[in-house]
Amino acid sequence: MLSFYRPGDGWLHRMPSGPKAFLLFAFVLGVSLLPSAWWAAAATATATALVYLLAGVGGWRELSHQILIVRWPIAITVASQLLFLGPEQAVANTVRVVAAIVLAALLVLTTRVSALLDMIERGLRPMERLGLDSQRAALLLTVTLTTIPVLARLAGDVRDAQRARGGRSSLRSFTVPFLVVALKHADELGDALTARGIR
Amino acid sequence: MSIHLEAVSVRLGEADVLRDVSLNLAARTVAVIGENGSGKSTFARLIGGLVVRTTGELSVLGLDPTRRAAELRRRIALVFSNPDAQIVMPTVAEDVAFSLRADRLRSVEVRERVSAALDRFGLTALADRPSHDLSGGQKQLLALCGAFVRRPELVIADEPTAYLDARNARRVADHLFEDTGHRLVLVTHDLVLAERCEVAVLFTAGRVAAVGEPTAILAEYEAILRC
Repeated sequence: MLSFYRPGDGWLHRMPSGPKAFLLFAFVLGVSLLPSAWWAAAATATATALVYLLAGVGGWRELSHQILIVRWPIAITVASQLLFLGPEQAVANTVRVVAAIVLAALLVLTTRVSALLDMIERGLRPMERLGLDSQRAALLLTVTLTTIPVLARLAGDVRDAQRARGGRSSLRSFTVPFLVVALKHADELGDALTARGIR
Repeated sequence: MSIHLEAVSVRLGEADVLRDVSLNLAARTVAVIGENGSGKSTFARLIGGLVVRTTGELSVLGLDPTRRAAELRRRIALVFSNPDAQIVMPTVAEDVAFSLRADRLRSVEVRERVSAALDRFGLTALADRPSHDLSGGQKQLLALCGAFVRRPELVIADEPTAYLDARNARRVADHLFEDTGHRLVLVTHDLVLAERCEVAVLFTAGRVAAVGEPTAILAEYEAILRC
């Protein structure tokens, strides 16, 4: 089950999810509006590092981990901008993008999925006037997030079953049984949600 | 009367899965037994409001599962054999709390009830653990915990020990049979578990073949299996 939450009791962990999302959004917006200059890149990097150090999520270790996750987009961004814009703009833009991503990650690192579900539901409530079911939409997002690893495990099971029977792997021989088990899981999950009183 | 069926049939696609089933079940614990494809699970899903009858009359805890499904679901809990499909939230405590989401309780009450339920099922130490990293037995205990935290009047368990080893199967069964004021309908292939119930119902080919005291019903089932 996919969860990025890191248990802790830092100030970001203690902060209610709504104001926390707003604060991080404001921070990301502020970083995005800075000019493409060396000093802005340095200020952004320093501020981002400080937030990670003070957030109680594991400091440098977690920051490096988050940067490592986006290493390929960073490489592509730097390379293409170096080619067309020069070093100052390339570095400043890349630092801004990376800072925005890792700052946004702080929301899921410090907020339990249940609190995120509540926050999304509250945030979508004004849309109910337009016919959106906020509870269902929030649940859909949560279930999608939490079902990804289950599907990954089911895919592994299908591949193992094929290997055990000496089958050669092909897209077709994998896709059909995987779709069957995935749909069966969806059926069972739907029943379980209904059984737990969820519409 | 807890569960009442009068000439109920269920047709799924082209198949008559349940045929002309009439039952009155008032016992606290009821075992539902029979071979694969005999209609046991459909019966469980029917009384749990997950399957709609094609014909006949049905009442569970005095409610019609088709017309008053939402009200019935607040009073019952279902437990299935595959715990993976019942776990929705990433951590143990969050998953138990998820069961109370539809009740819109105050967060203090949710915390108290979740804490008491975790304690009862021996999951307190695992409260912050990722749900899907648990062992099969722990996952099924979590599924039970998520069911019982809602304080159901009726628990419908469809082969809840199917994937478990003997020790975990016994733990799960002990929780199901513990008298907390709930009724239990237990679909099972485990005849030892069936014998622990007050009443057993034997299904064959979508029909009720026998209802009564478990020892007699199990003897009848053994006779069918020998044929």
